[in-house]
Amino acid sequence: MRVLVIEDETKVGCFIKRALEEESYAVDLCEDGAKGFEMALATNYDLLVVDLMLPSMSGMDILRAVRRERIQTPVLILTAQSQIDQRVKGLDAGADDYLTKPFAIDELLARVRALLRRGVTESLGILQVDDLVLNLATREVTRSGQRIDLTLKEYALLEYLMRHTRRVLTRPMISEHVWNQDFDTFTNVIDVYVNYLRNKIDRGRTKKLIHTIRGSGYMLKAD
Amino acid sequence: MPLRVRLTLWYGSALATVLITFSVVLYVITARNLRDDVDESLKETAATAVRSLEERGFLPLLDEEDLLSQFPELARIDKFFQIFSPSGTITIRSPNIKRYEVPLSQKALETAFLGQSLLETTKYPNEPQLRLISAPITYRGNFLYYIVQVGTSMESIEDTLRHFFILLTVAVPIALAVSLAAGWFLAGRALRPVDAITLAAQRIAGGDLSQRLAMQTAPDEIGRLVETFNNMIGRLEASFRQIRQFTSDASHELRTPLTVMKGETELVLRRARPLEDYHTVLESNLEEIDRMARIVDELLFLSRADMGAVKIELLPVSLEELVEDIHRQATVLGQDRTIEVVLGTIVPARVQGDELRLRELLLNLVENAVKYSNPKGKVTINLITEGQQAIISVTDQGIGIAPDNQHKIFNRFFRTVEARTHTKKGTGLGLAICSWIAETHKGCISVQSELGQGSTFTVTLPLAPRPA
Repeated sequence: MRVLVIEDETKVGCFIKRALEEESYAVDLCEDGAKGFEMALATNYDLLVVDLMLPSMSGMDILRAVRRERIQTPVLILTAQSQIDQRVKGLDAGADDYLTKPFAIDELLARVRALLRRGVTESLGILQVDDLVLNLATREVTRSGQRIDLTLKEYALLEYLMRHTRRVLTRPMISEHVWNQDFDTFTNVIDVYVNYLRNKIDRGRTKKLIHTIRGSGYMLKAD
Repeated sequence: MPLRVRLTLWYGSALATVLITFSVVLYVITARNLRDDVDESLKETAATAVRSLEERGFLPLLDEEDLLSQFPELARIDKFFQIFSPSGTITIRSPNIKRYEVPLSQKALETAFLGQSLLETTKYPNEPQLRLISAPITYRGNFLYYIVQVGTSMESIEDTLRHFFILLTVAVPIALAVSLAAGWFLAGRALRPVDAITLAAQRIAGGDLSQRLAMQTAPDEIGRLVETFNNMIGRLEASFRQIRQFTSDASHELRTPLTVMKGETELVLRRARPLEDYHTVLESNLEEIDRMARIVDELLFLSRADMGAVKIELLPVSLEELVEDIHRQATVLGQDRTIEVVLGTIVPARVQGDELRLRELLLNLVENAVKYSNPKGKVTINLITEGQQAIISVTDQGIGIAPDNQHKIFNRFFRTVEARTHTKKGTGLGLAICSWIAETHKGCISVQSELGQGSTFTVTLPLAPRPA
């Protein structure tokens, strides 16, 4: 899951980025409003975290512009104002949730998880393909009831694959959602991580879930 | 009791008093005039009769026909008459009195013997009053022959007065009622704007300070009230907006360091980490604590200044010594970032002021100049005098200020985007404090700047009067 954080207070931006990265999200950080908006247009992010008071373009303007461009990415707004009208305006302008500064890291992460869960039909935040189960809240992965330990990146990759089952996922698509902008797409890092996952999930089982689509990318499916 | 009712009642009772007094006086005067007229007419008639009879001398008066044939002028009078003998018995009476016995009163007889006339009023049951005059007819002025009595009924006067009384008792209450209704209406009309003001004031008291009294106002009392009221609400709204803005800005500025401290601390505590990580967070927190302490200090200063609680001691201050002192401090500040701080033209200048505050003012400006300069930049301080003014200017070659923002930088918490990008340090309160210090010294502060080229801040202070 790739997240764009637009926050002009360097220190605030940095700890948000670090907290999200520790939860296996790929995070881009931008300190300028207009530049952040361009980034939101250029990359298909899974979530935007936007501060309302920004230089060159306010968070509210970014929100409106993003929605005008028909980008449905969930947006979490950060605001120092506790006034109700600011939050109402933000939510009306298309924000999906808000956090008032100062906020607890746990709350930030919980809200981020909740926003990313919105696409998932399972109400409990559980992704399941055949006997492979991924719990978004506890980040626990099991196959046939057996616990599988994954690294942060492996988990992020599996989550992305499981959210888009039965669809061909190209390497650029995978890199866009699992890695941040510093990622060099010309390396074979994606293939390496897919192999790690295969070793932990499919090795020794008759039914393979991760399939290679020659010339295009990968697909996760049960049959 | 509502003002409208009270106004109407006051007006009504005043009007009633006037109307009733007027009516009573009018009635009394009219009645007296009418009676006087009757008396006058009786006197005239009696005089005529007396003159006629006296001119003819004594005549044996047989009956009224005989009398009337001899004195045709008596037939013409519209009143009745009687002629009495000196003994008081009736000798002749006019035909129009036949119905009543009207004897001569004892008093009239006595008066007649004295040779004088007497006016009397008598009343018979179920009849209107009679007004009588009895006049003596004498021979050569002392021998009483006859007494002539002329009388008339007061019926028509009584009728007139009765009608007049009825008219007054009907007309006065009607006039009063009509006037009260008109008064009620007028009071209501005059008080309607007051009701509108009350309603608007209630809405405003409900918290909506954007409300104004909208009404076409004549330049009368109500118009002036409305105008004063609107002005007052305008000023209230402005100061409330200012306070709200200030509170919101202050809370924003304080929340940012809190967010940083809370976020970084929580993050580092989420799991076991290398020692350097804790060290970094604590150092960062210390920075934020310093920033908050500075904001709180400056806010406190400004709010005390707003309340007039900051004491300014006016003593002679030598500006050139102050400037040189600040130059020494600023040179050290600039060294870290290879920024040169130089003195330009410096002339001796003395002002009346608080040295501590003036030092704060100048140090703030010079610190800003260093802070917003680029490395290897130059900051120049000048002190000149012009007329009765000392002019201190601090010029830098730093990031500059866009024209649109130049008047805003003295506002509390205002920092330009360039300033925020250039350094995270700074509270946005320094120039507001500088401006306050300059103004309390009867001076002013201004800025000339070009974005990307640098800024010049100029402080003008009145020179101390030369000792004689």
